[in-house]
Amino acid sequence: MKRYNPFYFIGQAFEGLFRNGVMSFASVAVLMSLLVVIGGFALLVSNINMNLEEFGLINQIVVFCETDATEAEIEDVGIAIGKLDNIASVVRVTKAEGLEQMKAEYDIYDDVDESNNPLPDSYVITYIENEKVPELDYQLNAIPGIAKVNNRLELATTIESFKHGVMLVFIWFLAILGVVSIFIIINTIKLSVFSRRNEISIMQYVGATDWFISLPYIIEGAVIGLVSSVAAYFIEWYIYSYIERLVLTDLQMITFLEFGSIRAVVLVGFIAIGVLLGVLGSVISLARYLKQ
Amino acid sequence: MIDFVNVKKAYPNGTMALKGINLHIDEGEFVFVCGPSGAGKSTLMKLLLREERITSGKLTVGDYDLSELSNFRVPYYRRELGVVFQDFRLFPKKTVFENVAFAMEVVGTPRSKIVRRVPAILNTVNLSGKQDSFPHEISGGEQQRVALARALANNPKVVIADEPTGNIDPKMSLEIMSLLVKINKIGKTVIVVTHEKDLVDYYKQRVVMLDDGLITEDRVGGMFNEEV
Repeated sequence: MKRYNPFYFIGQAFEGLFRNGVMSFASVAVLMSLLVVIGGFALLVSNINMNLEEFGLINQIVVFCETDATEAEIEDVGIAIGKLDNIASVVRVTKAEGLEQMKAEYDIYDDVDESNNPLPDSYVITYIENEKVPELDYQLNAIPGIAKVNNRLELATTIESFKHGVMLVFIWFLAILGVVSIFIIINTIKLSVFSRRNEISIMQYVGATDWFISLPYIIEGAVIGLVSSVAAYFIEWYIYSYIERLVLTDLQMITFLEFGSIRAVVLVGFIAIGVLLGVLGSVISLARYLKQ
Repeated sequence: MIDFVNVKKAYPNGTMALKGINLHIDEGEFVFVCGPSGAGKSTLMKLLLREERITSGKLTVGDYDLSELSNFRVPYYRRELGVVFQDFRLFPKKTVFENVAFAMEVVGTPRSKIVRRVPAILNTVNLSGKQDSFPHEISGGEQQRVALARALANNPKVVIADEPTGNIDPKMSLEIMSLLVKINKIGKTVIVVTHEKDLVDYYKQRVVMLDDGLITEDRVGGMFNEEV
């Protein structure tokens, strides 16, 4: 049975990392920058989404029934809404539930109870397509028993456009930095391979398979990815906490995702992307060399 | 064992290095391949090591048809060969023992077997006391013996030596050649590419003379023909 010593591969990988220290450092620096940018954009988009949800701006319209409407009339409103096109879901919020929500958010509702509740029953409608909202708005206004249609499409559209802009910049950054990172890792591994070309040729003459020759370099790429991702995680944490403090001081209406709640996702995501890019760089570099 | 059937090799630049070689080498034979520079000796070596593919014809080594051999199978084919080069090609940072052991590690030989086999091979090439030395601490002849030991590490069927005495003094050359003859006597097929007339004439083995991509002479117990 063939038994290979794993320490041989790991030892060779670290030898390569230190032998080409400057290039290894450059690879780590670029890959780390890429991950910080990816993380930054991902966190920005997540925060925008969360705030949109908080404000009920994601594909939602709230309609308020007449305050004096009977239970049957309110139910008829719900049935009429359900029959319209471009509706994903309709959820009724009774005046009692509405009051509870208000009490949770605003102190001035503390003295209000069932007997003097001024809120009407309402329906939270989730629609499918933004483009058809004006039509839906018109149809809702025509349903008897609806006092007000609260449609914040314009604001939602503005925020959505901002989000799309951020995504576009994010994708371009991702593509450019991704290519630069892989290019630098390819060159780091190429240097490592070049400095050991005599060893590799001896290995080939004594019958080493390509995977035996490649494994140390693949580990080298993975280590570059791992070190970059861990460094990027701590930098991201620091930057995020700094911005959170800054924004929350000035703009208290904005809600921020707590870093603690997404810590694991960020770290695992960084490691996955970092190691994947590191390994990819090594594989491309070696495939070219071994093909010669 | 080794069969060249009308083997031709042309390089992309148009050079026709081998123009139709027919050569049969039996298992356990000892063959000198000689000839002037540009005769095609290096190309013949490269084809045997499957560094290059033949352009036409058929080349088989044991069970391997090199005309058809895929890149994936090349490492497994090379494990059937032991190769010795003029410039030794040892790892400078590994000891004599480690250099020989490396050839076995590469093919996944268990450590316990490596520890048993390497001293035995070093004994075969008269290097028993040198196993902890580094290549720069031993002579050229001894370095070539380490290379020979490494070539034998995986118990190959064929040993190919490319100008094995090119970098060592005449006395050491005789010793290396004697070792190659000794290896041949234990049943290995040995092919030695050389320019050294005196050695070829001294050992009186089969001599294949190449010139301009063709075999011009093939004699058992032959001499180095300087007229070629």
